[in-house]
Parts: sequence; structure tokens; C-alpha cells
Amino acid sequence: MEFIIENLTKSFGAKKVLKDISFSFDSGKIYGLLGRNGAGKTTLFNCVNKDIKSDSGSFFLDDGKKEEIKPEDIGYVLSTPTVPAFLTGREFIKFFIEINEKSINDLRPIDEYFDMMNIEREDRDRLLKDYSHGMKNKMQMLVNIIARPPVLLLDEPLTSLDVVVAEEMKELLRGLKSDRIIIFSTHIMELALDLCDEIVILNHGELEVVDKYNLDNSEFKDKIIRALKEEEDDDESIPHIV
Amino acid sequence: MMKAFRISYDLKNTYRVNGIIYSIQQVPVIKRLFTDDLYASRGLKIFANILSAAWEIVSAFLGKYLYLLLLVALPAGFYKGADVGGAAMHILLFLTVIGTFMNTYMFNPTNDKYYAMILMRMDAREYTLSNYLYSSLKVAAGFLPFTIYFGRAWGLNTGLCMLLPFFITGAKMTAAWLLLLRYEKKGVCMNENLPPKFAWPLTGILLVTAYGFPYAGIMVPMGAFTAMAALGAVSGLYCLYKMMGFGKYREMYQLILADKRNAVEMSDIVKKTTEEQSRKMISQDTAITSRKKGFEYFNELFIRRHKKALWRPARRTACIAAVFIAVLLAAMQMDADVKEAVNRLLLIFLPYFVFIMYAINRGTSFTQILFMNCDHSMLTFAFYKKPEFILKLFRIRLREIIKVNLLPAAVIGTGLALMLYVSGGTDNPLNYVILFISILVLSIFFSVHYLTCYYLLQPYNVNTEMKSATYKIIMSGTYIVCFLFMKLRMDTFVFGIVATAFCVLYSSIASLLVYRFASRTFRLRN
Repeated sequence: MEFIIENLTKSFGAKKVLKDISFSFDSGKIYGLLGRNGAGKTTLFNCVNKDIKSDSGSFFLDDGKKEEIKPEDIGYVLSTPTVPAFLTGREFIKFFIEINEKSINDLRPIDEYFDMMNIEREDRDRLLKDYSHGMKNKMQMLVNIIARPPVLLLDEPLTSLDVVVAEEMKELLRGLKSDRIIIFSTHIMELALDLCDEIVILNHGELEVVDKYNLDNSEFKDKIIRALKEEEDDDESIPHIV
Repeated sequence: MMKAFRISYDLKNTYRVNGIIYSIQQVPVIKRLFTDDLYASRGLKIFANILSAAWEIVSAFLGKYLYLLLLVALPAGFYKGADVGGAAMHILLFLTVIGTFMNTYMFNPTNDKYYAMILMRMDAREYTLSNYLYSSLKVAAGFLPFTIYFGRAWGLNTGLCMLLPFFITGAKMTAAWLLLLRYEKKGVCMNENLPPKFAWPLTGILLVTAYGFPYAGIMVPMGAFTAMAALGAVSGLYCLYKMMGFGKYREMYQLILADKRNAVEMSDIVKKTTEEQSRKMISQDTAITSRKKGFEYFNELFIRRHKKALWRPARRTACIAAVFIAVLLAAMQMDADVKEAVNRLLLIFLPYFVFIMYAINRGTSFTQILFMNCDHSMLTFAFYKKPEFILKLFRIRLREIIKVNLLPAAVIGTGLALMLYVSGGTDNPLNYVILFISILVLSIFFSVHYLTCYYLLQPYNVNTEMKSATYKIIMSGTYIVCFLFMKLRMDTFVFGIVATAFCVLYSSIASLLVYRFASRTFRLRN
């Protein structure tokens, strides 16, 4: 299966953030989307998730048959987790399962899902407003695990988690990647190298794969930084400091 | 010290000017004409600078004029037969005492102080003293023309009139020095935005003394006041001299401005507060559950956990309306004139109820709570934005919002029909039905109106900031139209029929629009 972006363009005023991007992502892989601050990673995700209107562009899933992507094909986990504060963890999952029951395969008891996410028993019936940041993040991930959307967009989800939860989440993502496309945005290089199968750079509105062929981690890291820097040096709009 | 003042003034002016430019950019239509280059535009900067300077002058003088007029001159004029000048000075004395700890400049944690002293590491003593001196001079200069103007009118001698501004600044300086001394001795730091516990009760007592005592004929004698004013001015000078030598400004401001590290911008503070308040509306009662399924389950939990915020105000309005109606019914039994007047009004006054029904409708707070505690998070989930789910939930919510608003509407509608009957009835029995139905229909209309606007214009972004100028314009427009209805006098029967027909038509069209467009419009703004 492939997730295909065709001719995606997005500008804010005079600033072109995404410049005619065409790219395809293969299933079974975690893609690390690297870019500098303000490069447009979140804009790219928002366009894919149709949270903002792109100026042009289409998104397809190709599983032998190329079809335009539907909202339910995408799972989007934000860096700041947002979950309905007035529900308990259990109520949220119950509601989610009930309204999506037709599209959920291999449904399991709710507690099994909580066990999978290492959410303690005493926390399951607490209101989500009292959950910690990491637990809210887990809840966001959990609905995506239950729904199994073919495309999973993760916008810097591990940045503010403690080391234990971050490690748990990494393991979880590795376990999830078969049969789906995971695009993981971050600006922490080590995290991307540790977790991702492919590194894609978003710089000056364009997407580019950085090939790891025959390189060790340190060389690969240098290559990524060079790629980011070279593009910056090529850009005439950025003044050089003498 | 002059240099420190000039730099800090430039800094303050720069962000004030940028603030003006930003405001210009927010105006619909005009905003399309400009881009971010605006901040580099010289012409616009000059224009904004002029506005900023004008504001500096206006705020120095206008504020003082309004203060003396509204808080001193007008209340002093109410004490009939009393010595107006004496009453005014009595009031001014106690208000000045309140100002010494509630309006200090020195202990107000403002952004310009944070930027200058903490972020830009300016010399705290030089910064504070130069700005404190400037603000004190501004207070004295702002008061001077008006203490002379009002003082003359109160029959005070010119010397006292001229002493008053220096008394006010002197009193502030004395208090500021005492508070600095308190910090030095005990380490307790005054923060104007978080005054100590005793400040509010003390303010209350001083207000009662200021305005209540003259009513009972008790006033500070003019001689004593003059002596205190002179003492205040002299003591102020002494305290200013002491403040010059105070050496702990930097560490004190580190404490006062500590909160700014997390939220400098007002919008951040407002956002935090709104979020906290919204969270507090959720009931912690774990016994609240629901036996329903799917969206009905989701909705029932939402309504039950927000019962206090959604239903309580509606119940309160219904109770107040019931009491009001009962009082009028009783008054009609006692006085035939009241009966006649009520009967006449009920048959021409229905348009007035457009505004009343607007004012008591819970639509805006309902949609606000919906967003803050529910849609704000749920709209980040793709499944929630499926068109069929959006419409399903719209129907459920419409039912709920109508239910909440119908409670007070039913009480008012029944009350009006009952009052019409008790006040002598009407030739046309249909008027009873029209009164009752019109009120219910108006209530439904506003419920539909608010929820439709929310679904079609969803005005908030993920940071819970209001981003839609159209939404704001429609909300203000609603107010203006409803307000204008108060001026309309029309036969109840005719107005009732027209209003009902309009509301039914509007609600049908609005619902159709939601069905057609909400799947595209009901999402988080950017």
C-alpha cells in the first residue's frame, strides 16, 4: 500500500510554505519527517488531515487500486494531546468503539486496550481532565490503535514525554508499523534515527528523502545536517552573515 | 537615569506602536490590504506614534477628569444641604488612601517592567526610579488643572486646589515606601494584581467611610483635611528621597514578575484562565453515568457533567421570572391602575420580549462550553468530523439547547398569558395562545441561531482563541437588532404571527444550511 501526495501547495500570504510537493510513502515503514522550526511540518500534516485547505493538491491511497483518501483513513496525534476533559478514559474508549463499531476489526475488551497502553487500573475511571500529559498522549494513540487507520501522522508526540513513556511509545509504534504508513515529525535527530526507517526532510517547502545507503549513524547524521544546510545556503532569500 | 528612562520609554512605545498596527490588521476588510510588512512601514509607524503620544496625553488628563467627576464631584453633589466642598474632600481623602495600595505603579507587574528589567537586564533601580518619577509627575500634572477646576466650583481656596495633586502623589509615595520597607524587613512583596487578603475588606471599609459617612453628616473637618494633605505632600517628598536609596529593586521585581515567565501576553493569561474555568465546570461526581449508546451516551454525559453550568442559570432565570410575575399578579389584585396598565402593555409590548428572550438565552454560553470542554479536543479526531456524525450530534445538541432555554421561556410565556387573563382579558382569545407560542418560538429561534452560527462559523482555533470576525459581527448584529425591537410597538396579535412565521422559516433555513455546509465549516480554525 502507498500513501501518495500529488502537487500539494500551500501559501500563507506571500510565503510559500509547501511548494508543489509530490511524494509517495510505503506501508510497513516509519518515516521520520525532519525539518527546522517553522519549516512547515505541522502545515503539511494539517493539509493532509484537511484541517486547513491546501491551495492545490490531492492525497491518495494505493492498495492495488488508487483511491482518494477519506478522513477516517488518517489518524493524527498532536504534540499537545487533546482529549475530551469531561469523560473518563473508559467512557471515551467506550464511546469511540460504539460509534466506530462497523469499521473496527478484531475488537477486544476495553481493559485489554488499557493494559496494552500500560494505563493503570485506578486511572481508567478518572476524568481525562485529570490525566497527565503522557497519559493523554497514550489515549490519543490508543484510539488510533483501535481504529487502525492506514495512515498515522504523529506531530512530535514524544517530545514532552518522560523517558519511560517515550520508550513505551516507541515500542508501540514499532509494533504498529506493519500494514500502515507512519509519518513521524520531529526536529530531534536522534529520535528520528532511532525510530524511523526512512528520513524525509522538509525544507523550503519541498520533501526530500535522505538515503542511508552504506552509511553509519554518525555519517548519516552529517549527511542530514548537510542536506538541511545546503538547501539553506542555496536559498537566496536568506541573507548571509559576513 | 535619564538614559534609562529614554530607553525604557522607547521600548514601551515600540510595542505600543506595534500593538496599534496589530489592531489595525485585525479589522475585517482592512486586513486584506496589509501584510506583515506593515511593521516596517515608516509612514504607518509615524501615524501609530502620533496615536501613541495622543493616548499618553489623553490618558494622563482624561482619566483624572473622569475620576474627579464621577467618583468625587457627582457623589459629593448628592449630599443635599451638606457642604459640597467638605464632602468632596472627605471622599477624595479616603479614595486616595485606597489608591495608595490598589493603584501603585511600583507594585504593578506589567509587561514593560518584565521586558526591561528581566529580559533586557536594564538596571532595575534606574529603570524603576525614572519611570516611577515619570508616572508620579504624570499623576500630579494630570490632576492639577482639574483640582483647580473642580476645587473652585466647590469653593476651595486656590492654595488647597494646587496642593491636592501633590497630596495624592505624596500619599502614594508614602505608601510605596512603607511597602518597600516591609519587603526589606520581612521579605513580603506587594503585588498589585494579587493584593493581600486584608486589601479588599479594607477597601470596602474605606469606601463606606468615603461615601457613607457624609450621608450621616460625618465628615473630616476641612482644617484637618488641609493639614493631612500638606503632611502627605511633605511625607511623599521624604519617602521619594528614601526610595532613591533603596537597593533591592532587582530582587523584588524578580518575585513580582515571576509569573510572567510563563505567560507574558494577555492572551496567554486569558487563555489559561478560560481553560481553568472551563475545566472547573465539569462535575467530579463519579456517580454520573449513562445507559445510552453512541452519541446519545456522549451527549448525556456532557450535559450531566455540566449541569451546573448549563441548567442552573436557566432554572435561576425561570425562578426570577416566576417571582416577578407573581409580584405583578399580586400588584394587579391590589391596584386597578396596575391592572389596566399591564393589560394595555401586554397587547402592544410583545416586541420588547425579543430583547428579553435574547438577554436570557443561554445559547452563547452553551456553545462556548461545548467548544472549550468538548469540541476543542474532539475536533482533532478525524472520526468526529465525519459528516454524518457532525449532523447527528448537531441534532442532539439542538434538542438539548432548546430544552435548556425552553424552561424559562415556558414560565414567561405562561406568565404573560396568565397576566393577560388576570388583567382583564382580551376580545380575541387567540391572543393568549399567541403570547405563549411567540415566547416559546423566540426562545427556540435564539437556540437555533446560536447553534447554527457555531456550526457554520466555528470561530475558535486550537488555542481557544476567537478567530472569526464574521462571528463577532453576527453576534453584535444580533444584539443591535434585538435592542432595536425594544423601540417597536406593535399589536401583539400581528407581531406574534409575523415573529412566529419568521422564526419557523429562519430555523428551517438555518438547519438546512447546517446540513449542507457544516461538514466543511465545523472544524478548528487556524
